[in-house]
Amino acid sequence: MMESLTASLKRGFGHTTFREGQQAALTALEQHQDTLAVLPTGAGKTLIYQLYGYRHAGCVLIVSPLLALMTDQVNRMRVAGFRRVAAITSLTSYAERQVILAHFADYQFLFLSPEMLAQPTMLAQVQQLRLSLLVIDEAHCIVQWGPDFRPEYLLLGAIRERLARPLTLMLTATADSATQHEIAKQLRTTPQIITESIDRPNIFLDVEAVANDAEKRERLLQLVSQLVFPGVVYFSSKQLASDMAQWLQEQTGLPIAAYHAGLSSEDRFKIQQQFMAGELAVICATSAFGMGIDKNDIRYVIHYHLPTDLGSYAQEMGRAGRDGQQSLAVLLSAPGDERLPLTLMEANRPDDTTIQRFYAHPQAFDSDDPGIALLTFYYQHGISLAAVQTLFTRREQERHHALAQMLAYAREPDCLRDRWLTAFGQADSTHTAKCCAPAKVPLDLAALGLKRTVQPAVNPVTLDWRARLETLFLSNN
Amino acid sequence: MTPQDLLQLLSQRQVRRLRVIENLLRGRKTVSTLYWGQRYGLLYLLGLDKALQRGALDQVAQTLVTQRLAAWTQDEQPQLRLTPAGHTQQQATTYYHPQTALTWPRVDLKLVTQRLFLAVQVVSQYAHHNVQYYPLMTDLATQQAVRQWFHQIKSTALAQMVLTALTHSLTQLPELTAMVTTAGLSGYQQPGQTTAQLARTYQESAWEIYLRRVDGVIQIATDARKRDHPLHPLLAPAWQTPVTRSAQATLAAVTTTSLSLDQVAQQRHIKPSTVREHLLEAAIMLPVTAVPYDRLLPQTTRQDLLAALPGALDDWEYMALTPELQARYDFFTFRLLAIWCGKQGEMA
Ligand SMILES: [Zn+2]
Repeated sequence: MMESLTASLKRGFGHTTFREGQQAALTALEQHQDTLAVLPTGAGKTLIYQLYGYRHAGCVLIVSPLLALMTDQVNRMRVAGFRRVAAITSLTSYAERQVILAHFADYQFLFLSPEMLAQPTMLAQVQQLRLSLLVIDEAHCIVQWGPDFRPEYLLLGAIRERLARPLTLMLTATADSATQHEIAKQLRTTPQIITESIDRPNIFLDVEAVANDAEKRERLLQLVSQLVFPGVVYFSSKQLASDMAQWLQEQTGLPIAAYHAGLSSEDRFKIQQQFMAGELAVICATSAFGMGIDKNDIRYVIHYHLPTDLGSYAQEMGRAGRDGQQSLAVLLSAPGDERLPLTLMEANRPDDTTIQRFYAHPQAFDSDDPGIALLTFYYQHGISLAAVQTLFTRREQERHHALAQMLAYAREPDCLRDRWLTAFGQADSTHTAKCCAPAKVPLDLAALGLKRTVQPAVNPVTLDWRARLETLFLSNN
Repeated sequence: MTPQDLLQLLSQRQVRRLRVIENLLRGRKTVSTLYWGQRYGLLYLLGLDKALQRGALDQVAQTLVTQRLAAWTQDEQPQLRLTPAGHTQQQATTYYHPQTALTWPRVDLKLVTQRLFLAVQVVSQYAHHNVQYYPLMTDLATQQAVRQWFHQIKSTALAQMVLTALTHSLTQLPELTAMVTTAGLSGYQQPGQTTAQLARTYQESAWEIYLRRVDGVIQIATDARKRDHPLHPLLAPAWQTPVTRSAQATLAAVTTTSLSLDQVAQQRHIKPSTVREHLLEAAIMLPVTAVPYDRLLPQTTRQDLLAALPGALDDWEYMALTPELQARYDFFTFRLLAIWCGKQGEMA
């Protein structure tokens, strides 16, 4: 007889208790039930498939749409002692791919991007494997239209059939009931659904209304100057993240750095490690930051721009206060802030005329354009013009609806938390002074215990280079 | 690259093509780029910024022109020359001159940097008995090379050996260069500083900090050429001849046989023009003794052409030769003579 889940947890991972949701999902999987787990960021979703893989022979195949996340996850699992782990994405070099394929059957955990898995030769290789579990990470990407959207996710239902319907775990941090239903439909299964309250009671929610950009910048400076750190400020552009990091550093004298996809991998590594080590007070980031960061003591998350939907907002601000201590999520809001996400949405979406012209002469278009690349994909997979038009129209409506919800949050007069949770079908009506501060309510940092009282220490003494080399290589014991 | 960085790459007495500087940085090894790179004394820039976008320096150059520190010349390619004010400013600025620059085209910089940084991290963590850490993100080949090296050399003395070796290398460089190189390393409880952070700390441009770091890395790679250096097995493969494999093969065919250039082309199944490009590439990048100039440029050819050409090498123009001379000597011969003359100047 197999040992209990708790015994495996202790033996394999050194923990004694599961977090909410983990045990329910694992129990369902052990009963060979396909499972859709809607668990908030930081709830330890990865442990579910790691523990399952630990308990069962064969390979756990994880499909993830985010390349950076996959590489990070592989690194993390190696650090944690899993040796037979590999990832193949479009960024994997040919030589590297050959090495992995040569040992394909030996891996315990394989990460594949959806476009890799959709390739017939790769799929044929995967069909040879003995799969113990198929994991669809960020499963909401099946229905969500956005920068993360991978049309290949729409093929996953068919791919799953080709793999003889292996036991499947769908993971997401953000899915309302319509999204849950759609995920199940696309993957052609009737999963057991595990949800958990998405509320984060220790994060105080705050919306700060400002009149214009200049005022917004001043308010940001005030907050960063007064708040207990570490904190994260999210921006919608790489350039602004870099510029503001420099400006804030000059203004406050605090160690602040930018983090975005435009940095070299070496710089991203260093900034991330500096932040983890407590050497940085604030990170000015784009949405590229956060996936794979497990820093528990982030005290605040500020959004400088309006996010495109409440789901991604919750995911980003939810990086605050994983340690359960009082934390803060601020949304800076100026009139007209919705214009930027609207423009981005329109730029990403081919209009009706373009769709019609494309279907008439598909060869005449440049597939470097992301919208056209998407159309090409649909065309090649035999999806009709009418179906594509419906698809785009529906997605556009969804996006507008999502943005409207985000705006409603920014403009909410009474309780931000209630507004947020209601959007995800988890109403909450216990507003207290410790809950939130909508736009018209002033923010009291001292009352939250988040006002900085001690001056930050000046920069650490810079060692002479010989001394620095010695601390690198010589251990004191 | 800032305008001040570009200012250092320009000259008052020599007109320089912006596209050549850009192509050098991007690692484009066309004969024309290499030739002018050598004429400008800027071959060390080769491949230093492979991610640079085409046209990325245009705005930087325009800033210098707007500030009246440089001026465009009338020509089909954007060409620049420093104004007297630009020259004065260039001379008045203390700017870093890498000590090891001459050898840079002979080292695979990406390979040596990735291997060195990962090796330092691995040895540092090992010295502190730490096995749980995030490795620097490198490609699989680097990871394998470092892992293999580490398993072969691992011993209790390893950390001290690496420390001694690195200290020896960095002592040969200016203090600030040693500081910048060291501060950029990652290891136990030291995430390492980014180039941008170091630039702020030391009030230099990010490009200048980067040049210091490359200098540090190449000094270490130079010392690691000695067989008893602990990093020798890892870093020695980064040294390469500065010409492509294909050009090496062409040069070998020319020097070891008495075949004509067109016969070499036939034998190697390449175009006759490619044979000539290979030889020019080799002539630019290799010492004067590596190329059979006497055979390719007989005495009479040299005399004939030199008599018709102006004294200053940079004023030579093939199209300015008489049609008769052009008919007698092709562009290859003309360019090879220019390279040869340039090398005479270098030796003097
Ligand atoms: Zn409330």
